[in-house]
Amino acid sequence: MRPLTEIETQTLFRKLAQYTGPSLTHLISDSAANPTSKNPDRNVFRISGNRVYYVRESLANLATSVARHNLLSIGTCLGKFTKTGKFRLHITALDVIAPHARYKVWVKPNGEMPLLYGGNLVKAHIGRWSEDCPEHQEVVVLSMANDTPLGFGVTSRSSADARRAEPTAITVFRQADVGEYLREEDSLFTTT
Amino acid sequence: MAPTKVKAGSAKGNNKRHQKPSSSGSSSKNKQRASISKATKQLKTKSAPTPSRKKRRSYTDEELGIPKLNMITPAGVQKPRGKKKGKVFVDDKESMMTILAMVNAEKEGQIESKLMKARQMQEIREARQKEAEARQEEKRSKLEETKDSIKRRRKRKPDSEETLDKPEDTPKHPKMNRKRVSFG
Repeated sequence: MRPLTEIETQTLFRKLAQYTGPSLTHLISDSAANPTSKNPDRNVFRISGNRVYYVRESLANLATSVARHNLLSIGTCLGKFTKTGKFRLHITALDVIAPHARYKVWVKPNGEMPLLYGGNLVKAHIGRWSEDCPEHQEVVVLSMANDTPLGFGVTSRSSADARRAEPTAITVFRQADVGEYLREEDSLFTTT
Repeated sequence: MAPTKVKAGSAKGNNKRHQKPSSSGSSSKNKQRASISKATKQLKTKSAPTPSRKKRRSYTDEELGIPKLNMITPAGVQKPRGKKKGKVFVDDKESMMTILAMVNAEKEGQIESKLMKARQMQEIREARQKEAEARQEEKRSKLEETKDSIKRRRKRKPDSEETLDKPEDTPKHPKMNRKRVSFG
């Protein structure tokens, strides 16, 4: 486990910035109270294998005592670096990006299950949009009933275009949804 | 000039020539024998190599102008000395913030341009729609006009040209009747 290099940091931030607004700085600046020392604990990014974790610094320091091979996961897994050097966000990163999301889409109760089973969002499922959302823009999908983040995806058309679209037209392409915790249970946390 | 030099040094030139390679260091005997002018010349020639040996300067490749590709270590492989080996990690807040600020600015620009493009496209679409509507409106009005004119003509015709129209109409009706097919 090691900190990220400059290029890796850039790639990661570029990906996160697609979903979040300028408030992404809170990810770096936020700190939590540390019971063992006077200094507040900050959150850091650590890479283990090809996976990137967002973790408290004290915890990351403690984790150095665990052998690399034995360390399965630590903190919140944001995603992984592909062999071509790109970064792929995992559903586990949803809790990190959802509070800072730039564009949001709220899903009606009738659209929740299709999404959680891995389907794309059609216009009839969408209850509300963030205003002025362009097409091919990364969005966070929330439940209309209780504002729970359900996943994230990419818009297929702008919010203005979607108004004119048919009810069965796909408006958001799914990228990840919380249903993956069950569907991908076997492979979500395996590092090999 | 060259022959004069030879002549001047010819008398003791043999000695000098023998001494030069054998005794590289300047000897006091030689200096005394030679004339002042010669001595200065000799001193210059003899004294020059001695310090050069001590301070022999090593020239770098750049100073000599040796082409980079013509070296033992290829140009791309050699790494600068004094630099840290391996990866350079970014773990402090400030550098992360600067990277994030750069990325954010880039992203803002992209989204802004996307929105601008979308708005422009929307305007163009609206303008086209308006044009199409106007054209349709024109067509409709023309149609209405022609309809009206036909109606007016028909209204006038029965009074004046009723007798003339009838023969024209009569052949049409039989034709229509002919086309009809009835079964059973």
